[in-house]
Amino acid sequence: MTLQECYAALGGDYADVATRMPRESMIQKFVLRFLSDGSYDLLCRSLEAGNYEDAFRAAHSIKGVCQNLSFTTLQKSSGELTEALRNGWTPEAEGLIQQVKADYQQVVAAIQAFQKEVMG
Amino acid sequence: MNQRNGGRFLLISLIAVILLTVSLFSFLAVNVNHQSLDAIEDVGKIYMNGISEQSALHFRTTIEVRLEQIQSIVHIVPQSLFSDRQALLAHLELNAEARGYEYMALFDREGHADTVFGGELTPFSQEIFQSVLQADEPRIFVGSTPEAGRLFLFSVPSQLPMTDGDTSTILVGGMPVDYVSTLLFPETEAPMVLSYIIRKDGSYVLRSNDHDDTTYFDQLYALFGDQDAEDIQRHIQELTDAMSRDEDYTTLIESDSARRNLYCTALPYSDWYWITVLPFDSIRTVITAMSHNWIIAVYSACAIVLLTIALLFLQYFQRNRRQLRDLEESWMTAQAAQQTAESALEVAESSQREAETAEREARKANKAKSEFLSNMSHDIRTPMNAIVGMTAIAIANIDNKEQVQNCLKKITLSSKHLLGLINDVLDMSKIESGKMTLTMDRVSLREVMDSIVSIVQPQIKAKDQQFNVFIHDIPAENIYCDSVRLNQILLNFLSNAIKFTPEGGSIQLALYEEPSAKGEGYVRIHLHVKDNGIGMSQEFKDRIFESFTREDSTRVHKTEGTGLGMAITKYIVTAMGGTIEVDSEQGKGTEFRVTLDMEKAEAPEEEMILPDWNMLVVDDDKQLCESAVSSLLSIGIQAEWTLSGEDAVRMVEERHARRDDYQIILLDWRLPGMDGISTAKEIRRRLGRAVPILLISAYDWADIEDEAREAGINGFISKPLFKSTLFHGLRPFATIPGEEELPEAPGPLMDFSGKRILLAEDNDLNWEIAEELLTAELNVTLEWAENGQICVEKFKQSPTGYYDAILMDIRMPVMTGYEATWAIRALDRPDSKIPIIAMTADAFSDDIKRCLDCGMNAHISKPIDVREVARLLKKYLME
Repeated sequence: MTLQECYAALGGDYADVATRMPRESMIQKFVLRFLSDGSYDLLCRSLEAGNYEDAFRAAHSIKGVCQNLSFTTLQKSSGELTEALRNGWTPEAEGLIQQVKADYQQVVAAIQAFQKEVMG
Repeated sequence: MNQRNGGRFLLISLIAVILLTVSLFSFLAVNVNHQSLDAIEDVGKIYMNGISEQSALHFRTTIEVRLEQIQSIVHIVPQSLFSDRQALLAHLELNAEARGYEYMALFDREGHADTVFGGELTPFSQEIFQSVLQADEPRIFVGSTPEAGRLFLFSVPSQLPMTDGDTSTILVGGMPVDYVSTLLFPETEAPMVLSYIIRKDGSYVLRSNDHDDTTYFDQLYALFGDQDAEDIQRHIQELTDAMSRDEDYTTLIESDSARRNLYCTALPYSDWYWITVLPFDSIRTVITAMSHNWIIAVYSACAIVLLTIALLFLQYFQRNRRQLRDLEESWMTAQAAQQTAESALEVAESSQREAETAEREARKANKAKSEFLSNMSHDIRTPMNAIVGMTAIAIANIDNKEQVQNCLKKITLSSKHLLGLINDVLDMSKIESGKMTLTMDRVSLREVMDSIVSIVQPQIKAKDQQFNVFIHDIPAENIYCDSVRLNQILLNFLSNAIKFTPEGGSIQLALYEEPSAKGEGYVRIHLHVKDNGIGMSQEFKDRIFESFTREDSTRVHKTEGTGLGMAITKYIVTAMGGTIEVDSEQGKGTEFRVTLDMEKAEAPEEEMILPDWNMLVVDDDKQLCESAVSSLLSIGIQAEWTLSGEDAVRMVEERHARRDDYQIILLDWRLPGMDGISTAKEIRRRLGRAVPILLISAYDWADIEDEAREAGINGFISKPLFKSTLFHGLRPFATIPGEEELPEAPGPLMDFSGKRILLAEDNDLNWEIAEELLTAELNVTLEWAENGQICVEKFKQSPTGYYDAILMDIRMPVMTGYEATWAIRALDRPDSKIPIIAMTADAFSDDIKRCLDCGMNAHISKPIDVREVARLLKKYLME
């Protein structure tokens, strides 16, 4: 599995990230690093605790990371969730949370698959 | 017209007065001159006659004095001497000599002479001498003696004893003619006056100056005869006649050269005549000079008078003209005033009309608003009711999971709807209160179109509509625009198109550019959104951009929306300086056309050049093909195009046979006949996997991706095909042919070595990415602050000037980027004005504005683009 294929699998835009990062190795490094980013955990924990302010910020963080890495699909759903949580809880947030979770799982799955191949 | 008439009248009067004056003065000059000449001539005549008479009188007196002298000599002879003849003669001689006589003699009637002294007398004329001898009265005559020469002789009767014993009858005394002449014609007399004494036959007795002519008549002939002998003859005749009649004679003898006054009078004691000739010329010279002076004086006077008149006229004329002008001006002013008054009246009327219209419109708007409000309250109440009702049902059936899920689904839908309504109303109220702002920033049309396409794709897919994007002629991909609002415009059109187009209908989005009328730095952007949906009635079309309107028909009642979208769109387009047009027909569809003149953003610094591949573009839209080929050419690629998959396969084979393969093939997904995937399969079947094939599509390829990969497609490029889309889509394949790594980014993009930047960012991964990118590409030294508060602390504790700039995330725990910026700006440090650049995942214009409002210098949105960061750092650090 190439990095490009990984991007295709996780719903990202490799061509786009390639315009901003000078080396494939750098992209690969950050893609793998994404697995250890704490924003998603923070999002889940805040939502469970009903702390929508933190949840908003966590969603926002995910969105920011996805923008930097061109994870288009997750960026879109997390962005929508950010807007849904911007002024506290809104009804549509629930559906978006599920969407974000699904998208996140897709990203993580793709990266993990890629990681497996890279690490050998 | 009036003025010209007035002027002509004045001119004519002026000329008339001048003519009158000149003729009057001329008449005066000539006539008076004439009269005065006549008068002076008369005066001259009188004067000359006077002089002549004076001369004649003088002659008579002189002669009489001499005659009396001689008589007195006789009288004073003592009686005693009568007897002594010798003594008598001595006495006579003595007395005569004493009185200046040079000759004296006694004569008797027979002519016997008894000479006292002076020798023997020879009379000039014997005849006259005889008459003298016989006369008993004093006489004068001329003669000569050998001793005394020519003598003027005075004879008085005197009985004195003579030598022969007889008694004498006359005593004759003689004086030299020259002496008498001096007496008669004194030198003092006017030299111009010539006097002569002549005899009847014209011979001279005496004359005042010497002439060679023997007679006066000869002299006259000599003087005038040349001109008119007859005239002179006549004068001489008249003169002789007058002399014989013993009358005085006066005449004017005129000739070309001279004009003389002649006066003749008989002299007493003789047969002589006194002739005085006055040359008139000298008088005439005086008179002529006088008349010249007179004429000069008259004409000078005339000139002065004329000049005065002219001056007066000029003055009058000017004043007249000034008055006329003033009059005209005031007339014009009056007219202008009238016009002003009229226009004021018109304005007043029109403003009244306007006021009325405004009132009507206000009423209408009010009505529209209240209608809108009632509609809105209905609109709001409906989803709200649903939410409340569904919530109640859910609570009532809390254990029935399926029911609750169903309720929640409906509640979510209703809430979404409600949110949309409220968002629109909020936007509209912003517009109405003038608070909507545009944040002009560099915008890539490619990005805008990309994001729009990706946003509307799911909805289009859901309604199974055809979606075509036509983009061509885009010389300026980057422009300055408010990207959020531009998105809003496009989304509004597209969501309306999707909303009002039935399932299976088609929607087109077209974008192209033209040179702008605003100049070099601008570009005119045309955005067309067209559908074949339900269209609009003419009546509604006219009001579509008004607020609070929505087509009120059963067809649209089930369609959600506030009716504010188009008003908001219209407002945004107007605020951007653009125009918006709409064509629509019920049942046929609608087309919106937006034209915007936007400032071009300078092209990004990177040069988009790819290896000189040969490429094939396959799409059923000829315009897209041509546009793509020209875009490809501009990035260094030669490309051919064709409209169908079958042709594409044929062309690829031909090239393969020539061993001149295309290096990359771009295939449209949706092709008539053989579609993109089938075509790719066919090419792969025939040629293997050597040539990369890319699928181009406006649709989300997630659904077809697996199929496409299986068919041997190497990648996707999304429509619209901008130059940069093509460049970035194709660049990864630049490494494939040679299997070599693309030469790595050649060193840092820009060198900011020595610059220290504080980056506030709460997310580790984002921080790492930023650090790696900026350090590698820009050579900056980066320090990390995990949130706003740490950022402020680090800055506070740093020495002055330690940091060169701050990159600030906005959404951070503990302290946001806004608050941190406030805090830093409020610090009492010389470097509290340090450049702060916001870096956020939000790109709403409100956020950007808020960033700038709280004191940040600039804003960049994530993802971190090193070039953009470099541009801003350069702007704030290098200046």
